[in-house]
Amino acid sequence: MAEHPELLPYGIIREDLFRPLSRAGRKWWFTVAVCFLLVLAGLAAWGVQLRDGLGVTGLNRPVFWGLYIVDFVFWIGISHAGTLISAILRLTDAAWRKPVTRAAEAITLFALMIGGLFPIIHLGRAWFFYWLIPYPNARLMWPNFRSPLVWDLTAIVTYVTGSAIYLYLPLIPDMAQLGAHNKPWRRKLYRALSLGWTGSDREWHALEMAMKLNAVIILAVAISVHTVVAWDFSMSIAPTWHSSIFGPYFVVGAIFSGIGALIIVMATLRHTLHLENYLIKRHFDNMSKLMLTMSLLWFYFTMSEHITIWYGNEPKEMAVFGQRTRGDYAFWFWTMVVVNFVIPVILLGIKKLRSIKTAVIASVGVLIGMWLERYLIVIPTLVTPRLASATSFYSPSWVELMITVATFAAMIMLYLLFARLFPIIAVWEYKPHSPEEED
Amino acid sequence: MATGNPVKPHRWGMVIDLDRCTGCEACVVACHAENNIGMSDPEEAARGRVNHWIRVDRYYEGEFPDVKVKYQPVLCQHCDEAPCEPVCPVNATYHNPEGLNVQVYNRCVGTFYCANNCPYTVRSFNWFDPKWPEPMQLQHNPDVSIRPGGVMEKCTFCIQKIKRVEEQAHAGSRPVADGEVQPACVQSCPAEAMVFGDLNDPDSKVSRFAGDGRATKLMEELGTKPKVIYLEKAR
Amino acid sequence: MFLISEFRSKDALVVALLALKKAGLTPNDLAIFSEEPIEFRKGILDRPSHMSKAAVAGAVCLGTAATSFVYYAQHNYEIVTGGMPIFSFWATGIITYEMTMLGAIFATFFWFLWESGLIRKRDPAAPVPNIGPASMSLRVRCETGRADTFVEILRAAGCIKTERVK
Repeated sequence: MAEHPELLPYGIIREDLFRPLSRAGRKWWFTVAVCFLLVLAGLAAWGVQLRDGLGVTGLNRPVFWGLYIVDFVFWIGISHAGTLISAILRLTDAAWRKPVTRAAEAITLFALMIGGLFPIIHLGRAWFFYWLIPYPNARLMWPNFRSPLVWDLTAIVTYVTGSAIYLYLPLIPDMAQLGAHNKPWRRKLYRALSLGWTGSDREWHALEMAMKLNAVIILAVAISVHTVVAWDFSMSIAPTWHSSIFGPYFVVGAIFSGIGALIIVMATLRHTLHLENYLIKRHFDNMSKLMLTMSLLWFYFTMSEHITIWYGNEPKEMAVFGQRTRGDYAFWFWTMVVVNFVIPVILLGIKKLRSIKTAVIASVGVLIGMWLERYLIVIPTLVTPRLASATSFYSPSWVELMITVATFAAMIMLYLLFARLFPIIAVWEYKPHSPEEED
Repeated sequence: MATGNPVKPHRWGMVIDLDRCTGCEACVVACHAENNIGMSDPEEAARGRVNHWIRVDRYYEGEFPDVKVKYQPVLCQHCDEAPCEPVCPVNATYHNPEGLNVQVYNRCVGTFYCANNCPYTVRSFNWFDPKWPEPMQLQHNPDVSIRPGGVMEKCTFCIQKIKRVEEQAHAGSRPVADGEVQPACVQSCPAEAMVFGDLNDPDSKVSRFAGDGRATKLMEELGTKPKVIYLEKAR
Repeated sequence: MFLISEFRSKDALVVALLALKKAGLTPNDLAIFSEEPIEFRKGILDRPSHMSKAAVAGAVCLGTAATSFVYYAQHNYEIVTGGMPIFSFWATGIITYEMTMLGAIFATFFWFLWESGLIRKRDPAAPVPNIGPASMSLRVRCETGRADTFVEILRAAGCIKTERVK
């Protein structure tokens, strides 16, 4: 039966998928509480930074971008899990996607909310972040639309809006079903969110149409968003940042880390919510193959990026290259290559080794590796500026580390809350069968 | 250059003769005093947080004891095609009509993008609110605003001095004489290694030096078109 | 008046729909309620959609508006650009692109709300049947005088039961 979840009776499916909403175990409360405390600690660290100034970070001249920007790129990358994967699978009409899409879309939304905070946390005067938004103001001027940071702002706003709608649309029918929930506050919430959904064919038709259109749009937006994030670097003239490959390189890296995050989330959901009948081995097998592909692609891009620098032998670029491959950052560079390429290829490429467990191990490695990749893009370039006299060093301060940890806690907390409030698998979508196949 | 710089009487530039520079750093001190630049304590300085608008880079050649040292004062190069300008989302750094690359502190939100995109690493950031050891806070220049923590700042070619001279000249209905404007670093250089003037005036000292065979610009190959001209050390 | 008729089989539903349409009812008089989407072949119960046109229109509108705004803003506060053009499609193309996409997203969403009838005023007299996991309910709007004919058609097609609602 576990191999053919399509044949589960609808009543049981509904029961299984709605059950997690009603009962919260002790472990759930414990994890949420710990994460909440960590988030509070992160907020306190940010408070210290706002009070004292950015001097509390490890930043200096010329390392003006540090952990915050690394985290920003990392989280925006994670956000590609969802929307992109779910949109591709939806457009290709891959039937196995059904239990995966909502879990993925939720990652996207939360990762974006977290990632979008970092450019603000990173500002020297964070309380004036809204000066980047065009509105008639006392300064009698508009933002500089040719700045990649303004492009970034528009891209992320579009992506957050699109992902929120993309997550919300298929939630509506589930909300209508949950409208009969026994707790009054939940009943109110679900009814409000269901917008008075009745289940008429007109509504279904419009919903399917809207999902199809949104999938196409969100694909285009997701690719552009990470390209624009890459352009924050490659539009500058800093050595090794000014690279035309950065757009696609970042997009591939983003999808790569996104798949890693999704596999970890799926395995956790399967284990904690007892969804063994829904997230079956086939899903992990398919995701593993996707990740293997991305690992190879990632290696290809990393190779072509570095081999051109090395062969070109331009002194300023070689200084950064040397820092990465045999200097202060060599250990991390080669760690990255191992966890991003060697381990996934061995664990997922050899059929005998491929299992849910190895997929999770590889995914954890990929997340670490992709975080390191962003670190190795941002920091070595900045510590080796064009004028050798300005050469510097960077080590993050406790404030930066605390805020970084807090964002991971925030992600877990938001996800746990989401999984208790909304069915993590789209119930109606999971079984679009005709009733005569029932029973 | 369709909408480039409108023709203005002045195009300020600086010439630094590396043959004359002794690396005494009087320019650095004078700049601090003139521009109300905050002081970093030794711990902060050790963390790479020194705040100088002009610094003196040292280049060593040869092995001890036969060492030659080249001193090179580096300040904002006031590029005509400044890489820092287009990347600022809030127009805090922009080109003023006289071709100066200026920083509007009140607009700055501190994205750091300008500093990352500056190949000369001459921009400095106020990591904290600026502070001065007693009694240095009593000698602030009233013509220069004090920058709060969280904003970027950099050499302005002592724009307050330029403005004052221009106003005086305007009041006297006369042109600004060559050498009348003297930024703090130029004024204080005991070796007279620095010259400031109008690059639009072909007879000015800077223009004549700019045509010298020793004249180079720092990282000219990047196409930033700097307005600081270095006269290379004669061998 | 309205007829609410419950079906268990999609084939029976198709027979009923075709017969009702033959008897002179339009798709506007018919509505099917179910817990999951039911797909029909073309020509059985078509719901023509203008959503893709709306998406394109929204895209063009917001994209153009954003680009014109950027053009206006750049000229309104004209900075000395040091050789760069005041306004350049290349330098602001991303903004045009993103706002075009945002326009499409908003248009799709609002068109979905409109076309699905979720934000339109509903007929308060029209009953909404309770639906279970396995059933499909067909709601027919008809004149009181012809109700008997339609009930007969529904029964012949194989419905489980039919209710009349005034």
